Amino acid sequence: MGPWPDPPALLKQEKPMTKGILSSVAVLIAASVVAAALSAPRAAFGQSATTSDPTDAGKAVFKRANCFGCHKWHGNGGGGYGGDALSLRKTELTREQIAETVGCGRPGTGMPFFTRGAYDTVKCYDMNRQDAGSQMPLEANTFLRPNDIEAVADYVIVHIKGKGEPNYVDCVSFFGDTSRVCDIYKTQVEPTANSTPSAGKAQ
Amino acid sequence: MKRFKKHRLLMRTSMLATVVAAVGFAGPLPARAADEVTHDRLLNADKEPGNWLLHHKNFSATRFSSLKDINKDNVKNLKVAWTMQLGGVEGGGIWTHGGLEGTPIVENGFMYVTDGWGSVYKIDAHGGQGTLLWKMDPKTDHDWAGAVACCGVDNRGVALWGNLVISHTLDGRLIATNKDNGQVAWQRPVANPDKGEVITGAPLIVKNMAITGVAGAEYGIRGWVAATDLATQKEVWRTFTIPGKGEPGNDTWKDDKNAAASGGGSTWVTGSYDPATDTIIWGVGNPGPDWDNQYRPGDNLYTDSSLALDASTGKIKWHYQHTPNDPYDYDSVAENVLVDVPGPSGTTLKLALEADRNGFAYAIDRTTGKFVWGLPFVKKVTWTKGLDPESGKPIEYDPSKQVQRYNASVTPHRDNKVADICPGNMGGKNWPPTAYNPDLKLWYIPVIESCNRITVEESVPDKLKAREFWTGGGPSQPFKITGSVTAIDVTTGKVAGKLETPYPNLGGILATPDLVFSGQPSGEVMALDAKTLEKRWEFNTGGGVNAPPMTFSVDGKQYIAILVGLGGAWDKWFIDATPELKRIQPGSMLYVFAL
Repeated sequence: MGPWPDPPALLKQEKPMTKGILSSVAVLIAASVVAAALSAPRAAFGQSATTSDPTDAGKAVFKRANCFGCHKWHGNGGGGYGGDALSLRKTELTREQIAETVGCGRPGTGMPFFTRGAYDTVKCYDMNRQDAGSQMPLEANTFLRPNDIEAVADYVIVHIKGKGEPNYVDCVSFFGDTSRVCDIYKTQVEPTANSTPSAGKAQ
Repeated sequence: MKRFKKHRLLMRTSMLATVVAAVGFAGPLPARAADEVTHDRLLNADKEPGNWLLHHKNFSATRFSSLKDINKDNVKNLKVAWTMQLGGVEGGGIWTHGGLEGTPIVENGFMYVTDGWGSVYKIDAHGGQGTLLWKMDPKTDHDWAGAVACCGVDNRGVALWGNLVISHTLDGRLIATNKDNGQVAWQRPVANPDKGEVITGAPLIVKNMAITGVAGAEYGIRGWVAATDLATQKEVWRTFTIPGKGEPGNDTWKDDKNAAASGGGSTWVTGSYDPATDTIIWGVGNPGPDWDNQYRPGDNLYTDSSLALDASTGKIKWHYQHTPNDPYDYDSVAENVLVDVPGPSGTTLKLALEADRNGFAYAIDRTTGKFVWGLPFVKKVTWTKGLDPESGKPIEYDPSKQVQRYNASVTPHRDNKVADICPGNMGGKNWPPTAYNPDLKLWYIPVIESCNRITVEESVPDKLKAREFWTGGGPSQPFKITGSVTAIDVTTGKVAGKLETPYPNLGGILATPDLVFSGQPSGEVMALDAKTLEKRWEFNTGGGVNAPPMTFSVDGKQYIAILVGLGGAWDKWFIDATPELKRIQPGSMLYVFAL
């Protein structure tokens, strides 16, 4: 047991009064409180001041459930071989809607459902498997439990939704710094080293 | 002093390679001259029938072995001799797991294989068993490379030169490993994942050079083939597959968006080499964006082409383009098989054979680059009514038009955004290699009998970003996809036989004097009668076959070897066309069979 406050307890205090978008604010507040609380004792132990983020669990789900396989680490998704994954940076979905989409998938698209029994024992968008018919979403490779889904929704709300273009800091906070995957964000890079596509040129 | 030295050596070895404990540390054995791989030995690779020295067996890429102890009469007795579990199954980037697509290389009873992340394994195959001697783990940067590998965590194998094992990594390196002890002798970055470039193909060794191809047309790269001098580790030449300003072919990109610089043209399948003319023949992939051909009016050279390169300089000698201004993602990356067959009035036809993603098999005169014959090798082609008998171009091809529509009603384009095409964009025939039996003059194609659905997304220059998909749409799989092994009589240019299979052929072919070996992604390895394609033997590996079989002999005994581990593009992007394959688990296993 460390000499610092228990983060889950902190979150719990906030929870009863949080609903929808408010919860993200609460998470943000909680994050900063926890970070502040953690930094002092850690420094006292002479350790490097790593910040703990209450949405780390959600980030882990984002990786484990392979959300970034389609939406990419930065959440921008985009067209490609696997179809056009929604941009989570530009999404207008609320935390609840994101959680629902994760659990139930998006009928008629490539977004799979992550809740065990969705459309069977658990109704989704007020539909069962028969109602969904040919629009029935795919089953994900991994099922997530309700608290995993809440966690990943929190992560999307705090770290992805509404953010601008991805940058080096965002990238390193996702991957860590052991890979060269973030190097292209270190400086403003051209679309490809061999080309200078001209955004403003005639169509 | 001696002990200290040994310890230091051991430390160095363990930093670069995993020395397998069972072998112990005996110190590197001096290489015997017989084990040095020279250009001369590679030129005469078929004169060492027990060995498999080149990726495609020989420079002509026939994948034909004259070994016939295993033949159609006794193949029914073929059994597992030994197996070996390999690694590299872990995921990275957008991939949940790696797969095995490699061809084992065998020299004097020692086998060299790779896993999807580019680890090289040296296995002693003497004495009827396999013993791992060393593993060289290149510590490929999973996230960096895996995020821009369009079509899987793959590595198709190694090459041999001198006393070195030459290999690639997905993150763009060319690595030379000491054959005796598994220590990395040197490495050189050839491709750059920051630009979306990765390497999946095996190197081709020509004279003192390693020839490297690149993948990444789905990420807006400008493709190339590069030659590295193995003695100096310096680049000898790099030929871009998309011509720059002022170069011939640049005017086949009519747009004003500088698309030529990001126009694709990957080269991710190992090519072949004709020593008589010192010519490398290499296939080039699709233009980018894949499905929005209105973005890039013009024929888009040298995408979807076979390229003949002067091996010494890399200069383009000729090209043959199969699908100008391609709106289907019909790569021509496939290997060209170099064969000589009798022609009219006592002549000899020197052909380059290519089985294209677009569903047609082509024979090109490899001296001139002129079309000789072509025919569909798949059951269903809808995108064109056929090839012009003179030029070999699709008959709807109109050189005066900047944007080709071919059979317009089924062609995906901006005004027909959802279109069903046959063959589907995987082909036809993908990277899995063909094989050619020079006695029977039969050429065996591993076929994906397919249709799929393309949805076009209009591309604008703003969407072109480093390390982001640049496809102008995407495929989906509303139709079931099957496969076949299709034999073509090269003397007539006609289909000589077709064995239909429940699943697409994702592994490729090995030919021996009276047999053909292949596999299925559902797990089966099979031997077919070379003349009739009748099935003579089958064994279920319990994994997904995604790699070509090969054969070798050691201690006077013939073996068949194949890597088993379904990965690649199929089980991520195309699995809905073969829902039963969802039950196939990721794996990484080497199977070796003997009588």
